[in-house]
Amino acid sequence: MNFISPSRPKPGIANSIFSCLNKDSTRGVVIQAATLGLVLAVLLYLFSNSAQNLDRLGLSFGFDFLQTTAGFDISWSLIAYDPSMSYWRVFLVGIVNTLFLSFCVIVFGTLIGTIVGILRLSHNPLVSQLARCYVEVVRNVPLLIQIIFWFTTVFSALPPPRSGYGFAGLVFLNNRGFYMPSAVTDMSGWLIAAGSLTLFGTLWFLLRGIRRQQRQSGSVSRSYRIAFALWGLVLCGMALIVGSSLRWSVPALQGFNIEGGMFLPSAFGAAFIAMTVYRSAAIAETVRAGMESISKGQHEAAATIGFSRFQTLRLILIPQAVRAIIPPLANSWLVATKDSSLAVAIGFPELVSVFMQTSVNQTGRAIEIISMVMGFYVVVSLIISYLLNKYNAHVQIKAR
Amino acid sequence: MSEQKLKHFVPTPPRLPATNEQNLLRRIQKQCFNSIGNSLLTISVLVLIYYVAKSFLDWAVFNAVWNAATRRECMDISPDGACWAGVIDWFNGLIYGRYPDEEQWRVNGGVVMGLLWLLPLMNRRIAYRNSILISWITLYPFLGAYMFLGGTFGQDVGIIHMVFTSLAAGYFILLYLNWMLCAAGQSSLPERVTPLTSKLFRRGQHMNGFLLVWAVLSILCGVALAQVNLEPVPVDRWGGLFLTLIIASFAITMSIPVGILLALGRRSKLPVIHWLSMMLIELVRAVPLITVLFMAVTLLPIFLPSGAEPDKLSQVLFAVCLFAGAYMAENIRGGLQAIPDGQYEAAQTLGLGYWLTMGLIILPQAMRLMIPNIMTSFISMLKDTTLVSIIGLFDIMLMARNISNDKNWIGLHTEPLALISILFFVMCYGMSQYSLNLEKRLKAHRS
Repeated sequence: MNFISPSRPKPGIANSIFSCLNKDSTRGVVIQAATLGLVLAVLLYLFSNSAQNLDRLGLSFGFDFLQTTAGFDISWSLIAYDPSMSYWRVFLVGIVNTLFLSFCVIVFGTLIGTIVGILRLSHNPLVSQLARCYVEVVRNVPLLIQIIFWFTTVFSALPPPRSGYGFAGLVFLNNRGFYMPSAVTDMSGWLIAAGSLTLFGTLWFLLRGIRRQQRQSGSVSRSYRIAFALWGLVLCGMALIVGSSLRWSVPALQGFNIEGGMFLPSAFGAAFIAMTVYRSAAIAETVRAGMESISKGQHEAAATIGFSRFQTLRLILIPQAVRAIIPPLANSWLVATKDSSLAVAIGFPELVSVFMQTSVNQTGRAIEIISMVMGFYVVVSLIISYLLNKYNAHVQIKAR
Repeated sequence: MSEQKLKHFVPTPPRLPATNEQNLLRRIQKQCFNSIGNSLLTISVLVLIYYVAKSFLDWAVFNAVWNAATRRECMDISPDGACWAGVIDWFNGLIYGRYPDEEQWRVNGGVVMGLLWLLPLMNRRIAYRNSILISWITLYPFLGAYMFLGGTFGQDVGIIHMVFTSLAAGYFILLYLNWMLCAAGQSSLPERVTPLTSKLFRRGQHMNGFLLVWAVLSILCGVALAQVNLEPVPVDRWGGLFLTLIIASFAITMSIPVGILLALGRRSKLPVIHWLSMMLIELVRAVPLITVLFMAVTLLPIFLPSGAEPDKLSQVLFAVCLFAGAYMAENIRGGLQAIPDGQYEAAQTLGLGYWLTMGLIILPQAMRLMIPNIMTSFISMLKDTTLVSIIGLFDIMLMARNISNDKNWIGLHTEPLALISILFFVMCYGMSQYSLNLEKRLKAHRS
């Protein structure tokens, strides 16, 4: 077989180097080494520049600033905050506010989006075209414009607190924001959170055990029943203890402002409504695509059995569509979390606003702060994609 | 006799087609009023549409004020109508930002030149359309930057910029001269100089003829442009729709090469390249664009040597390019994964190397598969350009918000926002409809 080699000249040293480069494996190593070297060189260059620049500006690198007092106020925070707290607290406030805003947007956006997506498939052409108009208009106008529109045109145009709207003396709406009654307790929030977490953790374990047993033996043993009843008793007891310390705080007009109760600033309202509307349009498209992915035979089969349209939807279409909808839906939730950073444009104190803008301006620790903020978003996206992968493995049609 | 009569076949007249398909009223009745619930739904939708349309038209058209000097005057004429007078007053600012009035023809000229450069792509009879597109990507930015920035050759225009601007201008003129000559049935300029080049060069007379003509035209252009003295306009005076379109088109054009490189890197078998590309893509895709923009604006000045600090627009363009590239990389990777292994093997059989396989066989198919996704990315890039207003570039969004700070038009928020919403809607909806159309055409082409 070796009929070429006799006519080949003997390789010299230079030739052997070049022929070595022609081998795939050697070339791979050389290319990788070159890339790695280049990347390292660039990083080193940037690093030395930044060290020089920081020296010149009299700054240093380190996370020690997190312990120092922030000294600025944050207009609204879900967890307790005052200017004497540290930058670490500012970071937490930003995270909690961001998560709260995104959570509200995700819940309401998914609800409205599902409804609009189903309306989009209505047999009534008027309804489906109206839903289509809604989706197209909302999707094709940038989110930032919508946020600013809601903020400047709707929420800032509301009357001032003294002449604002009120309902039954409980709920108030004015140009500062939205007020509603809230439950106040003297017990520490951590205690309640820890209590409910353990309680629901136990419930989860219990239910899992019950389900496993039922699958194996077909019935649930007595000990599980007793444990379940006990769990209910503990729940009632805890509810009683917490409930007895609860007081209702009702907002009321005092002077020029409204005091008491739960307060949501108008920036939150504008960001929430704009983002919910925007998200619902995206989710509506996801839902529609998922529903349309089901073959027509399923509709016809359901009609043959005599299901009504609503029954078909509930029992045949939605259970199948969910499998196609969940992955893009989870992606949409991730985008909603990222989009919540746009609330910085109207001054809602979320992570980018309080940490990336104000704190960078105050401390000058740009590298540390930006990497922390990016780290937060990376962690959120990793968590969501991990959960999504688990879910996908769970719902995949199992071939047996 | 009677048997013969029976055998005679008398056809019954055909039945009329089902009328409910024909009759519009019946169809409406069947689809919108077939039950009480549906009728209620239809009526409530009609009422809703009437109410929304009426209040919008009342505000935007019937009660609107088109001519006024200040917002107060608008309010006096019609308190609950739109005050379009303010928007009209600021219209120039919305389009050009703070670009000086007497220099705005340069913006128009530069944009028109860019569009004209792309015009030959529409004509399917023109050969080498790829090279025209590549020249647009590589050369036009220099010409455009010269038009928009201004300056005098040799003084505030650098030597590299001078050379490339001349090359771009030369190419542009050559393109149109050739097109006109061919349209007139004459032979093109490179063909005319072939007798000359055939004396000078043994091989590649045609290519060398083209290069010769291009070089001569470029030198002529360079000499001509050196006589012109354009007023320099610094980048921070750019703004409005002009700036939005610059950022969006830069993101769109750069996203493709960056995305291809990153996607190939991620699919690479070499672990270092694979991991580096993957980390970059995943990091950029996990964070919001606004943080990438903040990063570019605050960290680039720290990471670059002092004194070499780029202007804000360059920082933003860098960030947008990185962001768009990472998203495009995932689109292209999706396309690459859909290409069956047989294509790679066939290319190997033909003896093609890695880059030729990718460039000639794999990427064209992958890109075509992903056209809907790529167009969706383009649309979201266009929408995302509004974010640059948050870090203080005067794009159309910030110009629209600034109208309400003008002392004549204090508090005029709604009308400018409505105008730019409509503008964005038209652009984005147009792009999405074009993408649907393209998809349909390609599908028809394939089957």
